[in-house]
Amino acid sequence: MITCDEFFAEFADYLENQASPEVRQELELHLSQCRACYVLYDSSQKTIKIVSESNSFELPQKVFDPIIDRVMSKLRTERS
Amino acid sequence: MSFLREVQLEKEFGPSIVFREALGFLPNLIRAQSLLPRVIEAQAKLEDAVRLRAGDLSRAQKERILLTIAADRRDTYCVAMHSGVLSSLGATPGQIDDLLNEYRGADLSAPDLATLQFCLKLSRNAPAVQWEDIEPLRVSGLTDRAIFETVVVTALAIYVCTLSAGLRPELDFQARELPSPRAGSPAKTPRASSSADIHRGWERKGPYLPAPYLSPHTFEPFAILQRTHGFMPKFFRSQTLRPDLLKAELEAVNSILFPEDALSRVQKECILLAVSATNLNSYCVAVHCNLLRGLGVSPEEGDQIAVDHHESALSNADKALLDFAVKLGAHFSDFSNEDVIGLRALGFTEEQILECVVVTALNNFANTLQMGLGIEPDFAPPPVFEENKVHLSGAALTPMQGAGAVHLVDKPQDVDAELVAQAQGGKLEAFEELVRRHTQLIYRTLMAILGNAIDAQDAMQDTLLSSFKHISGFQGRAKFSTWLVSIARNTALQRLRSRKNVESLDQSEYEEDRDFRPRQVRAWQDNPEQCFSKSEIRQLVETGILALPPKFRVVVMLRDIEQLSTDEVARQLGLSVPAVKTRLLRGRLMLREWLSPHFTTSTKGATQ
Repeated sequence: MITCDEFFAEFADYLENQASPEVRQELELHLSQCRACYVLYDSSQKTIKIVSESNSFELPQKVFDPIIDRVMSKLRTERS
Repeated sequence: MSFLREVQLEKEFGPSIVFREALGFLPNLIRAQSLLPRVIEAQAKLEDAVRLRAGDLSRAQKERILLTIAADRRDTYCVAMHSGVLSSLGATPGQIDDLLNEYRGADLSAPDLATLQFCLKLSRNAPAVQWEDIEPLRVSGLTDRAIFETVVVTALAIYVCTLSAGLRPELDFQARELPSPRAGSPAKTPRASSSADIHRGWERKGPYLPAPYLSPHTFEPFAILQRTHGFMPKFFRSQTLRPDLLKAELEAVNSILFPEDALSRVQKECILLAVSATNLNSYCVAVHCNLLRGLGVSPEEGDQIAVDHHESALSNADKALLDFAVKLGAHFSDFSNEDVIGLRALGFTEEQILECVVVTALNNFANTLQMGLGIEPDFAPPPVFEENKVHLSGAALTPMQGAGAVHLVDKPQDVDAELVAQAQGGKLEAFEELVRRHTQLIYRTLMAILGNAIDAQDAMQDTLLSSFKHISGFQGRAKFSTWLVSIARNTALQRLRSRKNVESLDQSEYEEDRDFRPRQVRAWQDNPEQCFSKSEIRQLVETGILALPPKFRVVVMLRDIEQLSTDEVARQLGLSVPAVKTRLLRGRLMLREWLSPHFTTSTKGATQ
């Protein structure tokens, strides 16, 4: 079986679902037998899900309105 | 004498001994490279592993492949050399003549005939090779390892023929008569036969052969690759069926590409990119675009070189260098001493011209392997290249005339194109509409770099003013949104610089990033997000993201919050894909550490 270090070296690709079938097989065998790496994998996947579904830093369009209005009026003044 | 100056090689020069011992003579093709002994070493390693010893194919089988391809390309030097070698391996003159005239009539076994048919297709029209071409080899009884070796030998044949076309050494043996060319073959130029082939080329699922896992801890070349490239390209990972061949290949690549005693690394990557593009090899185009980014070349410049290097910002000398390489690599039958003289006149040294020939040969070796093995891409090729491929191949049907190359025909499809044109014409309403479409993206980019909302909103105003000011300079080579992000990025970086603690977003050492190790090992709950309200989670995530160092924050923000693909993030930030991947993993793991105390099984408030 591969070591934890070897697992970690492939981890980024595995999380992005980009590992080749042969590599994935090795990684999954490791995951089935190494609790620490399984926890790492499971929690990392959950992290990605939580972060990407969090709507973070999403502002309602109206917050931008005054900024856009200021910019547009500035551009109009420059033009005339 | 060949096209280039030669010097006497020392008698004890190791690589010469390799050839002498295996062949009984030192090919003039090797002498023709005497100005750069390291490229001879590279070739000796490659040939020693691939050609000069029996593997899953016998030496005679390999020489037959080499001879058949050389004859198909009408390469008189290689035909004479391989005929000579075959005859020393016991082939009769009649058998050699059969191969030169029409291999299908030769007295060969069914697997040998199937092999030659496959090799010729791969050599003539690599982009059209697909699963269906591999099957007959399996059916005829070849093992996967033998098929793999067949592909590598074909790639070597093309390597050697490209060298021979570029150096034109004196023959080692008497010239052999070649039959006059029949209509339709041999193919003059590698090309896909129709646009359908080209598209299948990108969508088709490879690799065709299994590639067992090989650890960088036990296979040292992979550890070296990790250091030199910052990642392990699938190109190499797909070749683990024969670690011995892979090792030789990696050593050859290292001694050809990395020293900078003749051409620079950037020049060599440009050659690899331009020739791969002409060979319609999306995989290699994507890889070299990314490697160029890692060397500080912008994504747009890389795209431009792939589509038409004449329109790039390269110097005229470098453009001529690429013309030379493209002609040798893809239109070899038109290549002549005139091309060498042309480069000399521009001030290139003999060593540099030699290296350009070798790098072009190496490129064709790699292009052939990739297409013959159906190696899956690591990254997406530039969209502008994919969209223009049909036109590129159309143009490639006509042999190149002088400096003639392909010009960009279509701009990439961009939903914003019409509004952009209006805004460039001075229509303010169009500009306003454009900006409204992308406020969220701009804001998140600014937030990612600046790390606080007030600053980000301030910087937004500057970003918008600056983009209007420069919109006439936007040429549509990238998507408009990409361009906007680059303006936002620059605006934010300017602000950052005026602060005290400047942290760079630049491409940096891979090592430092990789050493990060996660600490939290407690298991998480099954549905962690259910224990908190949506707004609590958002608060947690935002705080965690803002606490990340900017270079990780930007990548996480664009990938996981803005949900761009890894390729797009790389493009927007002007980074290579491997650099983005490394930072993304690191950023995600830092966020995981931050979230862990809230979501582990023993967390207070967990209901199950």
